[in-house]
Amino acid sequence: MPMSLIQLQGITKFYEMGTQVVRALDGIDIDVFKNDYLAFIGSSGSGKSTMLNILGCLDKPTDGKYHLNGTDVEALDQNQLAAIRNQEIGFIFQSFNLLPRANALSNVMQPLIYRGIGYKQRKDMAMEALQRVGLGDRTDHLPNQLSGGQRQRVAIARALVTHPSILLADEPTGNLDSQTTIEIMQLFDELHAEGHTLIVVTHEDEIARHCHRVVEMKDGRIFRDSTGSARVSH
Amino acid sequence: MLFAFMESMRSALYSIYAHGLRSFLTTLGIIIGVASVIAVVSVTQGMSSFIGDTFSSLGTNSLTIQSYTPFEDQMKGIRARLTPEDLELIERRVDGIASITPILFANRSSQIKYGSQAAFSQIMGTTYAYQDVSQSYMSQGRFLAQSDNLTRRRVAVIGESVRENLNLPDIPVNEYVEIGGEWFKVVGLMEEKGDMMGFPQDDIVLVPYSTMRSLQGNQTRADIQIQLSLSDTAEVENVSQQVTSILRNAHGLSSEDDDDFLIQTPEQLMESFEEVLNMVTIVVGGIVGISLLVGGIGIMNIMLVSVTERTREIGICKAIGAKRYHILMQFLIEAMLLSLLGGIVGLSIGFGLGSLISNSIPGFPPASIPMWSVFMAVGFSAFVGVLFGILPAAKAANLDPIDALRYE
Repeated sequence: MPMSLIQLQGITKFYEMGTQVVRALDGIDIDVFKNDYLAFIGSSGSGKSTMLNILGCLDKPTDGKYHLNGTDVEALDQNQLAAIRNQEIGFIFQSFNLLPRANALSNVMQPLIYRGIGYKQRKDMAMEALQRVGLGDRTDHLPNQLSGGQRQRVAIARALVTHPSILLADEPTGNLDSQTTIEIMQLFDELHAEGHTLIVVTHEDEIARHCHRVVEMKDGRIFRDSTGSARVSH
Repeated sequence: MLFAFMESMRSALYSIYAHGLRSFLTTLGIIIGVASVIAVVSVTQGMSSFIGDTFSSLGTNSLTIQSYTPFEDQMKGIRARLTPEDLELIERRVDGIASITPILFANRSSQIKYGSQAAFSQIMGTTYAYQDVSQSYMSQGRFLAQSDNLTRRRVAVIGESVRENLNLPDIPVNEYVEIGGEWFKVVGLMEEKGDMMGFPQDDIVLVPYSTMRSLQGNQTRADIQIQLSLSDTAEVENVSQQVTSILRNAHGLSSEDDDDFLIQTPEQLMESFEEVLNMVTIVVGGIVGISLLVGGIGIMNIMLVSVTERTREIGICKAIGAKRYHILMQFLIEAMLLSLLGGIVGLSIGFGLGSLISNSIPGFPPASIPMWSVFMAVGFSAFVGVLFGILPAAKAANLDPIDALRYE
């Protein structure tokens, strides 16, 4: 059994909404291994987004243990979490989330600033990442001068440039047309083939079909995990 | 840390540049504040250094004594006077006087005519000693002589401005001018002295003291001014004490009465001028302090707007690994740079304004900016930026990345 990259044990996340307590995640146990190509699916309100926030170290669980690449995330403070996000995780968002006033190259260089890498090296690394996603000729375009697909490629380059342990994609094709969706998913397939670990959150079966492991969520619990046996607690 | 600082600088500069107009308007408050302080300081400092130079050239070893009537007494019709007898007393009894001269100002029209040309001028009756006391030098002819006074000769020594105003020839000696209906022969032209604080020093006509008295009619009790210069060993303090006790005695003042005369040294004059200038500087400084405060609040306001506007960007940066201090520094440096740029622009505008003012008013000394005011303006505006940048920067740094990413 290979060492798990992500290990979640009894993860819960409760929100207090007035007097009511919302159980967004209610006891999640899951292991994600290196070079997994995993999709979280489920209807809205199933806890997918909360799952993504916790996996991406943007949020902390109310209870439970989260080990990421051997590090116990629970013990970390905000700044250490920021460092983990910078080094271990590459985010890819539905709405791309590029910096609007920075060109493609600067956007890809941005995470390297927080790592303290000098300009010259930053630029080289960013160029390499942009070439990898096929945008080597559009480095000086602003996000609003690029098509949706190109913007998502820039975002993917920005996620790749830090050489993270996992790529975390939240509805990566939600804002794209079907042709571009196919292109982006092909890129994901290639990245997986190159050895990257990908976690995709989606509600589209079409996307999930690309993934080699599909985890279906329902009411804050894992309803079915395509690698293991279907787990329906209670 | 230095790396983060440099990167924040780069990003702040870019942000200021990208919002050019907004940055300019934001910092306008600071620009105006700093420009006005620098303009005022440069003018007053130019003035004060000029005053210092002027008075030191006069020497500190001279005194001017003049009568002084408090306003209350003026209302009652009482007028204090200095008389020729007072002069005599001082001359005889006070030790340490090198030379002493009365000055009698014309109390009627000060019109002077040459041919068909007429002009107004400061006409004073004085003695040969005036030349020594006031450090005047002749460029043509001679000064008033003792014999002029004794024989009440109708002679005059004029300043350069008077010669120009009356269209007198370059060498006005031996020309005749008309003062108060009497003819005076010009015997000398004084060397040009230039203006002092906008007061022309060359627009004067000197005639013998006794001549002036006879012109005014000897029946009136004259109120004269006394100027004296001290001998090398005498001290200003000592001499003015002697003069005070002699004059109080002569005027029959009891110990409760105030002096009915005023003793002024150039030093005192200079000090009172500088006091006024310093007051102006302080008052303006206070006003400017308020305007910088307002400017700072303007910057804070725009920075807060900017934080809200860039909430999503902040969320993105946090998601891809920006730590708290990265965000804090970025906004703090942006606020500080805005303010600092405003300070520097204000500095140059202020200096330009100061130079313009002092150049456009004739006789005004050139503007000068002391180093301390430059440091103060720049330092203070940077401080204002940091002070008013802290709140927006902290607000940005404390944003929750999830909320910030979700912000539309």
